[in-house]
Amino acid sequence: MKKWIAALCLVVVVAGLAFAQTGVKKKRALPFEYGNVVINNFSEKAGLAPVEFSHWFHRAVFTCRLCHVDIAFGMKAGATMIKASDNKKGYYCGSCHNGKMLYNNKPIFDSCLPKYTQEDARRCERCHSVGRPVRKEYDFAEFTGKFPKERFGNGINWEKAEEDGYIKPIDYLEGISIKRKPMTIQSDFTINSKVEGMADIIFSHKKHTVWNGCELCHPEIFVGVKKGATKYSMVEIYDGKYCGVCHIKVAFPLLDCQRCHTKAVQ
Amino acid sequence: MNMARMAVTGGLTVLLSLAPSISRAFWEIPSALPPAEHGNLLIDRASERKGGKPATFSHWMHRMRHTCRVCHFELEFNMLVNSTEITEAANRSGRYCGASGCHDGKAAFGHEKPHCDKCHNGDRGSGKEAFALLADFPKTKFGNGIDWTQAMERGLIAPVNYLSVKPPADLAVIKPILLEAEWRGIPAAVFSHKAHMLWLDCNNCHPDIFNIKKKTTKHFSMNRILKREFCGVCHLTVAFPMNDCKRCHPDRPNLQE
Repeated sequence: MKKWIAALCLVVVVAGLAFAQTGVKKKRALPFEYGNVVINNFSEKAGLAPVEFSHWFHRAVFTCRLCHVDIAFGMKAGATMIKASDNKKGYYCGSCHNGKMLYNNKPIFDSCLPKYTQEDARRCERCHSVGRPVRKEYDFAEFTGKFPKERFGNGINWEKAEEDGYIKPIDYLEGISIKRKPMTIQSDFTINSKVEGMADIIFSHKKHTVWNGCELCHPEIFVGVKKGATKYSMVEIYDGKYCGVCHIKVAFPLLDCQRCHTKAVQ
Repeated sequence: MNMARMAVTGGLTVLLSLAPSISRAFWEIPSALPPAEHGNLLIDRASERKGGKPATFSHWMHRMRHTCRVCHFELEFNMLVNSTEITEAANRSGRYCGASGCHDGKAAFGHEKPHCDKCHNGDRGSGKEAFALLADFPKTKFGNGIDWTQAMERGLIAPVNYLSVKPPADLAVIKPILLEAEWRGIPAAVFSHKAHMLWLDCNNCHPDIFNIKKKTTKHFSMNRILKREFCGVCHLTVAFPMNDCKRCHPDRPNLQE
């Protein structure tokens, strides 16, 4: 009898796979959801809710480089395998979430204690919030209400938000970052598109180095020793490689074709 | 239970569980609505729950004034009814229907009294009278019975193509594509990028619906299309429907544009 049930289950699973939908339009994330990442390497195993990390809030306060280069966060949710004990030692989230560092003249709440009281449990939920009725301290609409707007992604023109002084992302952490003399920025260049009739891309190093420095992209994502050394295609980008490392889920999304493909066809 | 019996039972279960999907996949094209109602939707996410009537939305009325690109790209409307989180607050703050240049109270009536029942009337057929005025538009057999692309080319309609995100003026047209049919005896389908680019932005179709490299889109078959996938995302209930076989599968394909 058990075998029969197993066979039936198999049939249902196979049928389910065969009839799974492809070729449909995906639902777009709402502005306050865009860039949010769920991290659940160890949370549920430890009896806690998974972590929901907000890129929109953190990018308003820190540069991308600070977390993804200096603090060494990977570029894919779950790839960093963040442990409570690492946070406690002052790595990863614990680099800032240590109860001492100040933001807006308030200490940033401490992360991941080895033992916690009922009172502390509230603090756990500030990050371990998936599926919990948690009211976040910073509300998206309230926080970004006055920021310059733009279509897609978070619906915010982050570049202009910095220019206009709404945000001043921190790029240096005492004891973690190392100050280096900045390198000269290469001027904008064209990347030729392969499809006939498609506008070429104008790539601006200047715009990218503001938040990324050099290290975020070179040499791992783009070898970058010489223009043209790294070969890539739009298919790979959609697959989450190259530009797609950031421009699918966090930086402005790929559907904004003409934001990159801007150079008139000759 | 021996293995043979198990296989037979398993096979039968597969057939029985798939039978409705198979028949639907091959033979069931959504039943035709009157031309004035083709593409009309009733949107009911929270309306009835909150004591109102579902909102009626007419695709034909809107496509006369705006291309698909404006709403489904710039304004971020999804492609399936009720899947977009349209709320009163969102409309009033200038998103979705309430976007500046649309139902903002200036360009078109806003989200306020006394306009409520212009949308919240629960009547999919509303706007019939206005449709009757389109009698001299170029004809087709199915859908709205109107060849919208020809109507645009003849200047009978001049839909706005953007609100704030301007499409590039010189995005060159990518050549038509010949799509071989799966069945013998069925002529190949001709896909015209040009006709689609009149209405759409690249990302309306790529890469969610169709991959960007030729022949790399998986499962692209007619029975999938009839289940609202691929071409079926638009060409069942809004763009000209699938009954119009020859419009895609012409007897003599012409690849010159």
